Amino acid sequence: MVDVARTHAQGSLTAGRMEAFRTRALRWGGIVRDTLRNPTTAIGLAILTVIFAMAIFAPLIVAENPQGAMQMPRDWGAPNMPPGSPDHPLGTTPQGGDVLYGIVWGARTSLRLALTVVGITVLIGIAMGSIAGFLGGKWDEMVMRLVDVFLSIPELIFALAIAAALGPSFGNIILALAVVFWVKYARIMRGQILQIKQNEYVDAAYVVGESKWNVYRKDILPNSLTPIVVQATLDMGHVVLIGATLSFIGLAEAGLAEWGNLVSEGQSGIAAGMWWVATFAGGMVFLWSLAFNLVGDGLRDVLDPRTERR
Amino acid sequence: MQIKDYIIRRLLTLPLLMVGVSIVVFALSRVGGSPIGIYIEHEMTQAEIAQVAERYGLNDSLPEQYFAWLGGVLTGDLGWSGVSVAPVADLLPAKLTATMELAVCAAIVAVILGISIGTFGGARRDKLGDHVSRVISISGASIPQFWFALLLLLLFYQYLGVAPLGRADPEIYASIAHPTGFYSVDALLNLDGRALWDAVSHLALPAMTMGYTSMAIIARMLRSSLVEQLGEDYVDAARAKGLPERLVVRRHARRNALVPTVTVIGLSWGFLLQGTVVVELIFNWPGIGRWMTDAVLQGDRATIMAYVLVTSVIFVVVNLVVDVIYVHLDRRVTLGA
Repeated sequence: MVDVARTHAQGSLTAGRMEAFRTRALRWGGIVRDTLRNPTTAIGLAILTVIFAMAIFAPLIVAENPQGAMQMPRDWGAPNMPPGSPDHPLGTTPQGGDVLYGIVWGARTSLRLALTVVGITVLIGIAMGSIAGFLGGKWDEMVMRLVDVFLSIPELIFALAIAAALGPSFGNIILALAVVFWVKYARIMRGQILQIKQNEYVDAAYVVGESKWNVYRKDILPNSLTPIVVQATLDMGHVVLIGATLSFIGLAEAGLAEWGNLVSEGQSGIAAGMWWVATFAGGMVFLWSLAFNLVGDGLRDVLDPRTERR
Repeated sequence: MQIKDYIIRRLLTLPLLMVGVSIVVFALSRVGGSPIGIYIEHEMTQAEIAQVAERYGLNDSLPEQYFAWLGGVLTGDLGWSGVSVAPVADLLPAKLTATMELAVCAAIVAVILGISIGTFGGARRDKLGDHVSRVISISGASIPQFWFALLLLLLFYQYLGVAPLGRADPEIYASIAHPTGFYSVDALLNLDGRALWDAVSHLALPAMTMGYTSMAIIARMLRSSLVEQLGEDYVDAARAKGLPERLVVRRHARRNALVPTVTVIGLSWGFLLQGTVVVELIFNWPGIGRWMTDAVLQGDRATIMAYVLVTSVIFVVVNLVVDVIYVHLDRRVTLGA
């Protein structure tokens, strides 16, 4: 009798896992196709390709500053040069910083910021969400109360307060954003796990004697990542937007090749009609964030069953 | 669960949430070490410094310091603002009303823009109009506020010279009575057209910046729930009786689509609150946001703590109110699940 039940469960488990795997594989294939079919998403991907190329090939576009790659070179003899100047195609800041250098190497800074923060927060969020959703009980209670408290403080304000407490530096901006941004992933992960736990194949896995860890690793984790991917895509843009805001306010090192920092340097020139520094550098933050939002939004439309094409 | 029970439960968790937030805020103020630097000067001797530390309770354990601070906050003592050289609690009300006036105007802009763009897109699903409305609303969420504000400033202040900076013309501001502290409301109460124009012209650019950058979430939510509603049977019924499509959308589908949209209006309020930081800095608006940036750059911890605490309270309360409204609008919502 026990054997029959076990065989049945084994069959149901294998079938369930196969089904889940098949669904995943089919969905991802379909997702890529559906996402590209949307013209606005394709525009987003095109913008990202250009900016990534700029970040990767930065040294080929503008020679590296010998005083430090992430430091904008200063041409004290030529401040406030308008765009089109022979040595400075995009002009210079009131402090003689080369705008083109700041834009091109700033792409590297943004890429580093986004990858570090999103990488760290996704890992923390998955871990915390899994503790809450999979272990449940008092663990769930503890994690979720912490999440509630973190969600009560608006993101930018929270990050600003943390970065201010730690002192002005770009490293501290990264740290501050990491502290703020894991919360959403923890919530998403917990919700996903609670849903997936109810599937028959999860019960089946327990019946055939799979350990808790194996069930988590093989059945729950891989099936709960879809909305995390969407959120991570959106956050790649969002994190840079907030990071640039913090460095615009003055929480990064002066002279760092970073877009928000560059806008802040160019701000003083605006009253005198020197529009180019703030316009170009802020435009880069906009394009970066727009591109990730378009791609993330397109992904969500394809993945979210509520808006599925009828 | 009954609506009353749900609201009572939310109200009961509110203080707990605020205790949590206050612990985070206090912890932040101690991350960078002891706050003694605010009180001491270069020429003080070791003995004098020890005296100062004793006087402000800085030798006590951290929990003791936390409760001393919390006790102060609850009795209206928010500490000493280094940037303003005055007690935080004395300056807060005036700065908070300035910020709230701006935030409320921006919220109106955000809701109007969000609803019109969301309706436009939802009614033209997957057509050109939908893509355009998607790009417009996503641009709003992607555009750095500091950049958008500077561009508006460049155009309207620098080139066209039509927009003023700050909150008011001091002369006109002084010429009317201020029973509420909201400049535009006060101007209306005084029936003073010149003051009203002054208030509105100062509000226009910052409210536009904050409104446009916060409306995306409303527009996107309305668009997707409108798309959902337009597939329902009652919409077909409305069309079948010969109602023009425009009215089908406005009178039938959009009314139902607005219900879930209400929830995200609370979230967009969070964007508005954080938007005040940069927008007030650039437009020289005398509210709590600009106060915060000054405090951050000068390490004024008391002001930072008060700011984070106050904005969180507002954010949480607004979201609670929005949830309650949502529950009333849609009785089908199961509560406490």
